[in-house]
Amino acid sequence: MFTKWRFDRRLNSLAASGHEVLTDYAGSDWPDRNSAASGAAYLALDFELDGLRRDADLLQAGWVPFAGDCIAMASARSVDIRSDASLDPAAVTIHGIGEQRAARGQKLAEVAGSLIAALSGCIIVAHAAEIEVSALQRVGKAIWGIKLPVRSICTLALERKLHPHLVGAEAYRLGPCRARYGLPDYEVHDALTDAIAAAELFQAQLSRLPEDVILGDLEQR
Amino acid sequence: MSAAILADMSSEIKAVATFLAQTAPFQFLSDDRIAAISRKVTVRYAKAGSAIIRAGDHNDHLFVVRSGAVELRLAGDELTARLGTGSSFAYPSLLRGGEVHNTATASEDTLLYTIPAEQFHALRSEVPAFRQFFAEDEAARIKHALADRKRSSAFQLDTKRLGDLIVNTAPISCPPDASIASAVGLMHEHDVSTLAICNRHELRGIFTDKDLRNRVVAQEIPLDRAVSEVMTASPRTLPTEATAAEAMALMAAGGFRHIPLVKGDGGLAGILSATDILSAIGSNAIDAGTAIFRARTADALIEAAQRVPQSFAAMTSSGFQASHAMQFTSALGEAVHRRAAQLAEEELGEPPCPYALVVFGSLARREQLVGSDQDNGLVIAEDQGPDGAAYFKALGSRISDLLDASGYVYCKGGIMARKADQRLTQDAWLHRYDHWISEPTEDRILRATIFFDMRCVYGEASLVRSLRSEVVAKAASSSIFISYLARDALRSKVPLGIFRNLVLEKSDDGQKVFDAKAQAIMPIIDIARTLALAHGLNEVGTVARLEGLAQSGSMSADDAQSLSDAMLFVNELRIAHQARQVEKGASPDNLISPYSLSPLERDYLKDAFAVIRQGLDALRRNYAGGIT
Repeated sequence: MFTKWRFDRRLNSLAASGHEVLTDYAGSDWPDRNSAASGAAYLALDFELDGLRRDADLLQAGWVPFAGDCIAMASARSVDIRSDASLDPAAVTIHGIGEQRAARGQKLAEVAGSLIAALSGCIIVAHAAEIEVSALQRVGKAIWGIKLPVRSICTLALERKLHPHLVGAEAYRLGPCRARYGLPDYEVHDALTDAIAAAELFQAQLSRLPEDVILGDLEQR
Repeated sequence: MSAAILADMSSEIKAVATFLAQTAPFQFLSDDRIAAISRKVTVRYAKAGSAIIRAGDHNDHLFVVRSGAVELRLAGDELTARLGTGSSFAYPSLLRGGEVHNTATASEDTLLYTIPAEQFHALRSEVPAFRQFFAEDEAARIKHALADRKRSSAFQLDTKRLGDLIVNTAPISCPPDASIASAVGLMHEHDVSTLAICNRHELRGIFTDKDLRNRVVAQEIPLDRAVSEVMTASPRTLPTEATAAEAMALMAAGGFRHIPLVKGDGGLAGILSATDILSAIGSNAIDAGTAIFRARTADALIEAAQRVPQSFAAMTSSGFQASHAMQFTSALGEAVHRRAAQLAEEELGEPPCPYALVVFGSLARREQLVGSDQDNGLVIAEDQGPDGAAYFKALGSRISDLLDASGYVYCKGGIMARKADQRLTQDAWLHRYDHWISEPTEDRILRATIFFDMRCVYGEASLVRSLRSEVVAKAASSSIFISYLARDALRSKVPLGIFRNLVLEKSDDGQKVFDAKAQAIMPIIDIARTLALAHGLNEVGTVARLEGLAQSGSMSADDAQSLSDAMLFVNELRIAHQARQVEKGASPDNLISPYSLSPLERDYLKDAFAVIRQGLDALRRNYAGGIT
């Protein structure tokens, strides 16, 4: 399959990059696309960005790994990311992270290192996953000069398959999607809370799919 | 990994911690502990219909329902409990080392938080409130709920000594033979509004500013007469050790504002005035009582009675407990009934023979809240022929009309003095009761239970007292009648849980609610009445009945206390609910939405339901005659 070929090729080039975190990532145990989705390892991920620009700064990252039907908070992480930029005032009112807090955050390279380590062998789960995927690849380019291969499942895209005929974009936002599965309201715009929310939504969605559904049917191409 | 990321590992998981902080029993924990626990939580999603844990499994987690609903089934079959958001389960298995007895199934799509047994046990050993929450059965948990509420009440009517409310100086006094002029001079000199009239140290009466106006100046009594002629002789007194609650009940029922306080040695300690209590708690309950007592005309009574709901709201907002609010509301209701009878008599002239105004139901039990209709009747000493009948017909109608206009609306079931069958001689009443007791039918009992709670509020009290004794004796000796009463009690639909339960009712606007009166309070009242009558107890109030049953050994002290606690707790909820409605200008009802309760209150409510169901089960086993 073309998707697999491209992913594997990029992994191979990472293995040759000489960065330990990247070689470890490349060498980890990646699940077969034909294996059952219920048995795979996932990492729910969310970034808070300074606006919607393509080059928007990353201000906060939240992630939680999960597998099977359990999401363990013990390995959840929430990290503020250092930014010296003057922030987009409109975005600040949404994510609530001001310039002082951004200036106190951790260096992007450190955060990226821990995130890549956590992501090894895991499929990203996010609501509107292309935002996380493209931000992550921007980070990879900026720090290591590589195009980071990632595998992801978008809960929004999955929801469009599960409930295809809902009217309007609002119905596919994270909160309304969760409500359809009896999941509670969460405060939005905290990266970790959004990551947990996406993880829970994905578990709920999985419970509606055939038990033997395979990864390849769910992953983004 | 950097130090900063390591530090992050100890920070809270916001989504989890926020929820735990408002959920019993985690809300008892410090923020640090909640943060640490939030990191130990594992989230699980369970689709509707899927099993969460099964009887016979080994379990090593405490489960908390984050959203959705869970059904617990004992040994996999009989429905035992339904749990909603904020409820914990599976802890009994942790306490017994892991063996699961109850199967838990998601009855809706459910999100669960699970906490490892290790943390559960650590919290139990370190945090007493956490331990208490899980240590005991439902009954004990209600007790703690009540203790908590009492502690947090703004003003402790039960514990506030009257002696602490008055200025601790010897009261100004004069002997009974002193002239009115010298008594008034003394009051003027010391700037007091109340004078104690004492013979040596013995209290003979009190004399107030108001007495001076009404009994001296207005009546043109010469000032050289003895003060004893115009004082209030032999006033009701209370010991300094009595509580503010007792003083308020006395004032509200008696319509007076001053109570002399006596010390342990019998000496006068001072005179407590209503303002002494009011300045301490700020409430207009006594004002309403005084206005009712003083009402000289029908219009004045109607106006005064309209203040009852407001004083009820004021009482609850100033931190009164349920039992006190009921006591005072009942005392005010009693005062309105008494005054209505007095005014009716004034209009119609002296009655041809002694009679009693008897009340039934909640007012008889002194458990009335606002918004009750009237349930009353006349017990007439002897048949007075057509003229007597005409008098009592007019009297009964007038009393009912006055009460209706005062907010105690006509009884839909016709249990009121304006109806002929509610104005009977003592013999005729006895005959009527005899009919219920010796020839019970389901339908008859349904209508008649209210009559077995009776009390005289005005007139010849002995008429009601002797009627009641005979009725109780007859009832106690008829096991068939008692079994009908028990079966009637068993009709009530006590909810199994409070969320998503079939027996929840729908309010007018379609919201799911439970009826605090019909589904919790009435069953307790029914249990207490049935058992009290079965054992020939004369008590009328539910708590008094339960205490009487415990004292006579007819019920275990624990069971009696649990039922009484459950009633108190639900009444707290109900009263707070009604006070909010009264404040908003809505008419009070008993329909409470579970969503308006805190998770802790919901937990306690579930415990109360469990206690009530146990009481009903005992009734079924022992008295229902195996028919149901």
